[in-house]
This record gives sequence, C-alpha cells and structure tokens, in this order.
Amino acid sequence: MDNELQFAHRVRQLLSENARFGGPVAERLRAARNAALERRKAEPAGGHVVVGNVAGRMGVGGLSLRVIVPVVALVVAFAATYTWEQKQRAAEVEELDALLLTSDLPIDAYLDRGFEAWLKKRAAF
Amino acid sequence: MAEKTRRFLIAAAFALLAAAGIAHGAPSGKRPAWAELSAAHQQILAPLKETWEQIVPERRHNWIGLAKRYPKMQPKEQERMQRRMEHWAKLTPEQRKQARENYRRISKVPPDKRGDLKQQWSEYQSLPPQERQGAAPPKSKPAPAK
Repeated sequence: MDNELQFAHRVRQLLSENARFGGPVAERLRAARNAALERRKAEPAGGHVVVGNVAGRMGVGGLSLRVIVPVVALVVAFAATYTWEQKQRAAEVEELDALLLTSDLPIDAYLDRGFEAWLKKRAAF
Repeated sequence: MAEKTRRFLIAAAFALLAAAGIAHGAPSGKRPAWAELSAAHQQILAPLKETWEQIVPERRHNWIGLAKRYPKMQPKEQERMQRRMEHWAKLTPEQRKQARENYRRISKVPPDKRGDLKQQWSEYQSLPPQERQGAAPPKSKPAPAK
C-alpha cells in the first residue's frame, strides 16, 4: 500500500518536472510557433489553399503542380486525339489511292467531271 | 485568385502551342529521302525516283504505304500501279481529291446497274465533247460561243 502511494507520488513529481520547460526549449517552441503563424498569415485566406498545400508548394517556374498536372494531361489527350485522327485520315487516303491506282478504269475516268454523272444517269434507267 | 487565373491561362496557352507542335510534327516529322528507302521500296517506287525530292513528306509516307501493299496485289494490279504512279504523283492535291471523291461515288452505283465500267468509259469517250460536257455538273461554265 505504501509502495503504491510512493510510486504515484514519484510519477506525479516526474510529470510535473517535465511539464515545466525551462529556457532554451521554451524559446525554441515559441519561435517555431511564431514562424508557423507567420507563414499561415502570408497565404491568402480560403480553405482550399490549406487542403492543397503539399501539391501547391511543389512546382516549376512559379507554377504549382495543381496547375501543371491537369494542363499536361489535357495537352497529352489533345495531342493523342489529333495524331490518331491524322493517322486515320492518312490510312483512308492510302486505301483509296491503292484502289484508284489498280482500278479497271484509268485515272482519267476519275478525273473527268462528266463521267460520274453520266454513269449515274444511265444507271437510273 | 486573379494571379492564379492569369498563370493558368499562360500555362494553358504554352501547353496548347506545344501540343500543336507535337501533333503536327508527329506524322510527317521524318521526310525519308530516296536513299533512305529500302531496296525493295526503291524498286517498286522506281517511276517516282526523279521527282521524289519534290514530293511533300506526307505524300512520301503515302507512297511508302502503297509500296507496302504492293506485294499483296495481283500481277495485273501491280502492272497498273507501276504505269499510273507517275501520272498520279504529278496531279495537284485538288485533282487527287476530286478523283478520290469520284471513285467513291462511282463505287456506290450498284454493279448490276452500272454494267462493265471499262465498256461504259469507252462508250462515254466516244460521245461528242458537247454531250460529255453536258453531263458535267454546271460548276464552271465554258466560255460562251460568239
């Protein structure tokens, strides 16, 4: 019983001693707190800024990643679509050229402005 | 906030320019010289050898694509392609476009109605010029006779 009391007393004493920070430790804590507060004030108000802090701080040439990442994604998507469309178009042209160059009819028949209309008129009868 | 918008717009503008550059350069970035073609392709495209340097990169890629199809063609088709290459390459882009368009239209006419195309073509050619012109859509009228 005595032992327990003595132990509790000792624990209380140790906790109290460590709770009282003296000199340099208190000074460092205060400085850190002030620095944090300063930094917080320098940022524009608004909740989203706090949320995006980590990504917002990293970046290239003054642009934050939150701007760069979506823009780059957009650009890549745009370029890919454009390239794909160009390729499709080129493939279509190539297909038609192959047919034209090997067709039963000479190229002149396809260059003639009247033949196609004449042929259609005849086919209608 | 205004600063952020401004930055975003600048970034977007740069990025779009870059994308346009990439996309534009991708398909026709290389312009293979005649010497860079494989021996097989050189042989197939031989009729174009003299004019190859005047052909724009996009068309060069088109010809290389056609050369790749060549081995799969029938001998008769190969012979036709060899004969027509030079003529086809000399046409203006507009003429080629028109010819492709006409090809598409003609192939839409059902075969049982259009009959033998070769026969139709020679029949059409034997028509007097006026009758042939009369069939053409009145886009550019011939100069009125005085």
